[in-house]
Amino acid sequence: MPGWDATRARLTAALGAIATVAALGGCGENADQTKLNGFTRTPSPQVAAAKLPDVSPWSRGREAAFRARRGGLLLTYFGFTSCPDVCPTTLADTRRALERLAPGERERVEVAMVTVDPRRDTRRALNGYLSHFFREWRALRTTDTRALARAERAFGARHQIGPAGAHGDYEVSHTASLYAVDDGGVVRVEWPFGTEADAIADDVSALLAERGEGRANTDRGEDR
Amino acid sequence: MNRITTIAAALLAAAALGLGACGDDEQNTTAAAEPVTISDAWARVTPPEAKTSAIYMTIASEQGDALTAASVPADIAGMTQIHETMGGEGHGEMKMQEVDRIEIPAGGSVELEPGGYHVMLMKLARPIAAGDRVPVTLTFERAGEVTADALAREG
Repeated sequence: MPGWDATRARLTAALGAIATVAALGGCGENADQTKLNGFTRTPSPQVAAAKLPDVSPWSRGREAAFRARRGGLLLTYFGFTSCPDVCPTTLADTRRALERLAPGERERVEVAMVTVDPRRDTRRALNGYLSHFFREWRALRTTDTRALARAERAFGARHQIGPAGAHGDYEVSHTASLYAVDDGGVVRVEWPFGTEADAIADDVSALLAERGEGRANTDRGEDR
Repeated sequence: MNRITTIAAALLAAAALGLGACGDDEQNTTAAAEPVTISDAWARVTPPEAKTSAIYMTIASEQGDALTAASVPADIAGMTQIHETMGGEGHGEMKMQEVDRIEIPAGGSVELEPGGYHVMLMKLARPIAAGDRVPVTLTFERAGEVTADALAREG
């Protein structure tokens, strides 16, 4: 088992390599594309069409599209609250990344968590969990497995509920990336598990700067 | 003839000494169990209503050892297991699974860390708050039971 530093170093190297390839690949299409720490995909996933109910106290179950406010970013995570290791690590890194942004940047960033385990993650459990990390959030929860699968597919995410153990517990495997969605519903960058808060914050700043003061170039978002 | 007897006697004596020495070694091993060193033990602070948490640490051993079990008092968590999180390369899924043992290489150390090995706490009796000390008892194949205090903090 390599040390965490080694893992992070490997990850950073891999991200660097991928970022380079992505930058080269993107030259013809968008030469001035911002260089980012996370993964970018070509074409960038369009996720606005996948709507899920937002059970946060502010929304009370209204369906919400995966789309940031104008000129902003929506940081989206698929996870579950019984996850003791991976999910809280990423959510704590996300919070630290938000803390590193300038106030003017931070107010343009929202956070959403989609539960992949709605059976155990009741509305109350999910909101309680998110309140530990953030002051405001979107808590996305559906018991419609097809709607959840559609949303995951749009992002390129997956999950699997394992068999129940002796105590009725079960393991959940899930894609542990954090995604940044823009106001057109386009996934601009994906950070794999273990990306440091600073790397996330740098990417968020770069993407926000690209959108200027929020006078958005909305040509990217084809609504469907 | 005499010489042969002398040599035989010497060999026997040496053998007896050798046996004696072996016996002593075993006793020493048992009496002064080869120690493991636990450092930087910490427990993850839990959000409200969370039923699970994790404890992380660095385990070092001079002689080599294996962690085979872990437990915490019942008024903290009803169930404790040793887990490993796996996967997550690129866009991959991550999952946890219980492991029987974690080998600690001789003269080396193993990190229990986010995204890797951890002591998983289940059926939490109460939330774990920043600054709490969680006593975790670790069972090693050679060193026996070792208790360490894990200081609770954010991830």
